[in-house]
Amino acid sequence: MGPIELLHMSVFSQSFSPCGRFLAAGNNYGEIAVFSLSAALSPDATDASQKPVLTFTAHEGPVFSLLSTDTHLLSAGNGEISAWSWAELGKKNTKAVWTKRPDYKTSLEIPEINAMIINTRDNSLVVGGGDNNIHIMDMETGTFKSVLQGHTDYIHCLSLREREGEILSGAEDGAVRMWDWRTGHSVHCVEVYKYEECARPQYGKWISCVATDSDWMLCGGGPALSLWHLRSMSPTSIFSLSGCQREAVFHQDLIFAVGEGPYVSHCLLGGSVKAQIPCTPPSLNTLALNLGTTEHRVMTVAGSSNQIDVFTNFSYRAFSLSF
Amino acid sequence: MSSDPLKKRKTKVIRSDGGTPEPKRVRGEGDQDVRTYNEEVELEGRDPEQDYALYKNTCEALATLMGEIQELKASGAKEGSVEVEAKRRQGCVHFITLKKLNRLSHMRLKKARDQTHEAKQKVDVLHLQLQNLLYEVMHLQKEIGKCLEFKSQHEEIELVSVDEFFKEAPAEISRPHLTRDDPHQLTLARLDWELEQRKRLAEQYKSSLCTKEKILKGIELKKEYLSSLQPGLQAIMQASLPVQEYLSMPFERVQKQAEVARHLPPPLYVLLVQANAYGQACDDESDSDAEEEQQNTKRRRGTVGVQLDDKRKEMLKRHPLSLCIDLKCKDGSVLHLFFYYLMNLNILTVKAKVSASADLSGAISAGELLNPESLLNCLYANDDGQETPNPTNRYQFDKVGITTFADYVTDLGHPYIWVQNLGGLQFSSDTPQVEVVRSSLSASHMESTVKLLRGRLLSRLALHKQFSSLEHSIVPVSTECQHLFPAKVVSRLARWAMMSYQDFLELSFAQHVVKAGLARETDLFFMAVVERGTARLQAAVVLNPRYPEITPLFSLSLLWKGERSGRTDDNLRALESEVNVFRSELQGPRPGLQLLTNQIQRLCMCLDVYLETESQVCDGSEGPREFPREKMCLRSARGPNRLKPFKYNHPQGFFSHR
Repeated sequence: MGPIELLHMSVFSQSFSPCGRFLAAGNNYGEIAVFSLSAALSPDATDASQKPVLTFTAHEGPVFSLLSTDTHLLSAGNGEISAWSWAELGKKNTKAVWTKRPDYKTSLEIPEINAMIINTRDNSLVVGGGDNNIHIMDMETGTFKSVLQGHTDYIHCLSLREREGEILSGAEDGAVRMWDWRTGHSVHCVEVYKYEECARPQYGKWISCVATDSDWMLCGGGPALSLWHLRSMSPTSIFSLSGCQREAVFHQDLIFAVGEGPYVSHCLLGGSVKAQIPCTPPSLNTLALNLGTTEHRVMTVAGSSNQIDVFTNFSYRAFSLSF
Repeated sequence: MSSDPLKKRKTKVIRSDGGTPEPKRVRGEGDQDVRTYNEEVELEGRDPEQDYALYKNTCEALATLMGEIQELKASGAKEGSVEVEAKRRQGCVHFITLKKLNRLSHMRLKKARDQTHEAKQKVDVLHLQLQNLLYEVMHLQKEIGKCLEFKSQHEEIELVSVDEFFKEAPAEISRPHLTRDDPHQLTLARLDWELEQRKRLAEQYKSSLCTKEKILKGIELKKEYLSSLQPGLQAIMQASLPVQEYLSMPFERVQKQAEVARHLPPPLYVLLVQANAYGQACDDESDSDAEEEQQNTKRRRGTVGVQLDDKRKEMLKRHPLSLCIDLKCKDGSVLHLFFYYLMNLNILTVKAKVSASADLSGAISAGELLNPESLLNCLYANDDGQETPNPTNRYQFDKVGITTFADYVTDLGHPYIWVQNLGGLQFSSDTPQVEVVRSSLSASHMESTVKLLRGRLLSRLALHKQFSSLEHSIVPVSTECQHLFPAKVVSRLARWAMMSYQDFLELSFAQHVVKAGLARETDLFFMAVVERGTARLQAAVVLNPRYPEITPLFSLSLLWKGERSGRTDDNLRALESEVNVFRSELQGPRPGLQLLTNQIQRLCMCLDVYLETESQVCDGSEGPREFPREKMCLRSARGPNRLKPFKYNHPQGFFSHR
C-alpha cells in the first residue's frame, strides 16, 4: 500500500470482536484490518501497537459493513457476504469460512451491501443494499429465506426493534420503513423529508442512519437528524447539526452522531447539541461502541482517512489507530 | 719660615760665642783645628735617649729652683738678694739647656722627614717599573694567543688522505725522506699534489665542455631534419582522414582521447572506461539502434570564476580535466552530461544540458522541465544532489566555514549519489574513509543509470510537448488511450500554469498532501483549471521528478455553489482518487508518458459526471438544470457516502461505480 493509496483511503465499517479485545475495520480497497485494542490501550503501548496486527483483502469492492457474531466476523463486499472465524483470525489465518451471495435480479452491476444486522430472535442475518430489497438469511442453514420488497432506491441502513419484532430500514428514497419479520410485510412507512421540521431540500431526502431504543427512533441523512416517538409516529426533537449524519447511536441518555465534518456530536434527547468533539478524519462514516467488556470500553470513529480515532473517555480523542 | 734660618743663624752665632761647656769640650778634644761649629754634626753624635733624660733632669732642677725661690721670697727675702740671684743664675743655665734641647729636637724631626720622603720616592719608582713589566707580559701573552689562533687558508682545502697521497703522488712531489717526519713539509707536499691534480681536472673539464657543445650541435641538426619531415607527414595524415572516416575507424580520435584519458583522476577514468564499454556493448547488441550510442569527448580546462574565499576555493577546486558524455535518443535529442571531479572533497559532480531535436520554445509552464539545475533531480528516490555524499566533507566544511554544499551546486554541479557510483566511489556512513575506486561498482550501475537518464530525458521531452498543447487548453489524447474516455467530454481545461513550492504550501485544499509529506521542494508544481459552465475545478498537481514512475498527485477544489474541496466533499475525494490511485489504467503504452494528460482528461470526464449527477440528486434546485444529464449512469449514488459513478466502461459507454 503506497502513500497515495493511504491518502485516499476511507474506512467504512468497524466491528469489535466478541471478546472485546480486537477491532476489525474495513476500507474502500476491500481490506479488513484487525487491531489489538488490548495492546493499544496498555500502558506500554508504542507506535507499533497502533498498527493493525493483521491486514487482509476480503473483497473486491469496499467493505461497507462489518458485523460480529459470537464466533465469527461477517463482512459485506460487493454483493457478497463472507464469514471469518475470529479464532482463525487470531492465528492470522485469513481464509473465509463461507461466502454467500443473495439472489439478485440485476446483472449489469452487482449491488453493494450497505447494512447487516443479526436478528437474534430467529438467528437470521438481515442484509440491505443496492438492489432496494432486504434479504434475510437463515444463519443455521445459510440459505436466504425471504426478501422484503418496498423501497424504491437503495437501502442505507437497518435497525432492529427486538421486543416488537420489527426491522427498520432507511433508504435513498427518503423513507424509513418498518417491517414485521415474521410476515415480511411493511408495517409502516415514514417519509421523513415530507415533514417540514426535518426536511432539508438543499441536501436531499435520503435516510442514511436509523437507530432505535424501545419506543424511540433516531433517523437522519439528507433531512436533519431527528428523534421520533414511534407510537405516535411523530418527530419529537430535531437536532440542528450541519451536514448529513451517517451514523447515530443511543448511549445512556445521550445520542452520539457522526457524519460530514470532523467531529463527533453529543446530543441530548431534548434536541440540543451538547458538544462536538473534534477528531482526525475530515468526515466520518462509522462510529462503534465497545460496551461488551468492562476493560476496553472505548468508542471508535472512522471516515475519510486511514486513521481510526479511539475515545477512551467519550469527551476527547485519546489516540488514533492507523492502517 | 724665612725668619727661621735667620734665627738659627743667630743661635748659631750665639752658640759659637758662648756654647754649652759640654760640646765645647768634646770638640775641643776631637779636632781643635776646626774653628766653625757645626751643630748638625754634633747632632749625629748625640743619643736622643740621653737628651730625653737630660731634659727631664733639667726640668726637675728648674722646678726645685723655682720652689726654693718662692720659699725664700715667702720667708721674706728681698728682691735682688744674693740667694735669690744665685738661684736665678742657675735657673737661666737650665733654660739655656732647654733651648738647646728644643733646637735639637726640631732638627731631628726635620731630618726624619727628609729620610721618609726619600724612601717614598724610591718606592714609587719601583712600583712604576713593576707596572710596566706587567703590561709587557700581558701584551706578549696576547700576541702568543693570536699566533696560536691563526688559521691558514690551506686548512680549508680538502686534501687526499696521507696514505693515499704517498701511494699516488710521484716521489719528486711527496719526497718521503723529508716529509715522513716533518708534518710541515708533509702538508706542503700534499698541497702541491692537490694543485697538480686540480690543474689536470680543469683541463679535463674544458675538454668535456667542448665535446658537449659538439653533441648539442649534432642534436640541433637532427631536430631540424625531423621538423622538416613534419609538414609532409601531416599532409599524409590529412589525406588519410577521409579514408578513416569512410571505413569508420576513428583511430585518431580514439588515440587522442586515450592520451588525455591517462591524465584523468581515477573516478573519471573509471567512468570513461565503463561508459565506453557500455557504449560498445550497446552497439553490438542492437545494430538497428546504431544512433543510440554514446560518445565521449574530453573538454577544456575547468574555469571557476567565482569570488570565493581562498581556502574555500582551494577546497572546492575541481580537477582541470572534465568528462563529457553525450546520450543520444532515437529522436535525435541529446543529453550532454559534464562530469567534474572535486579533488579535495573526493566527489564527482555533474552538470546537464539538453539539446533537443525539435524546437522547444513556446510553453511557459515547461520552463522548469529542461532546467539543467533540476533535470537530473531524484533520478533515484531521494537523490536530490544538494548535499555532498561524502561524510568526511562535513568536517572539511566546518574548517572553512561552509554551511552547506547546496550553495555551490550552481557552479560546481550536483553531487548525485549515482554519479559517485558511476565513478566507482562509494561512501557508507559506517566507515567515513573513502574506499578504493572500484570499476565493478560503476559497471553494475551503468546500465540502469543510463536507462534512467534516457527515460528521464524522454519523459521530460514528452511533457514539454504536452505542456505546450495544455497551455492552449488542448488535452492531447493519443489513439491508444481513446477507449479510456467517452467521445464527448464537455468540461474543458481552461488553464495550465506553473506554480512555486511556496504557493503550493499555501493552498488550503492541498494541505493533506503537504502533511503526508508527498510535496517536496524537488517536485514541480502546477495548477490546472477545468471549467464547465459556472463550475470551475482547480487542481493542484504535484509532479515528482521521477515521473512517470511516480504518479502526479492531484488535489481538487470545486467552485460551484460555494467552494468544496476533497476534504469537505466525499465525491471530490473519490474524484481525486480516480486520477491519483488508478494509474495502471491511465498510463497508456509503456513507459507511460501519457499518464499526465490522461489524468487531466479523466478529470474533465469525471467533472462532467459530477456536475450532471449533482443536479439530478439535488432536488432543492429549481428551474432548468444547468447541466443536462448526458452521461449514461446505472445509478447516481452508491454506498453510505453516496459516491457518484466515475468509472467509464469502454465498449458499452456507461458509467458505473468501482
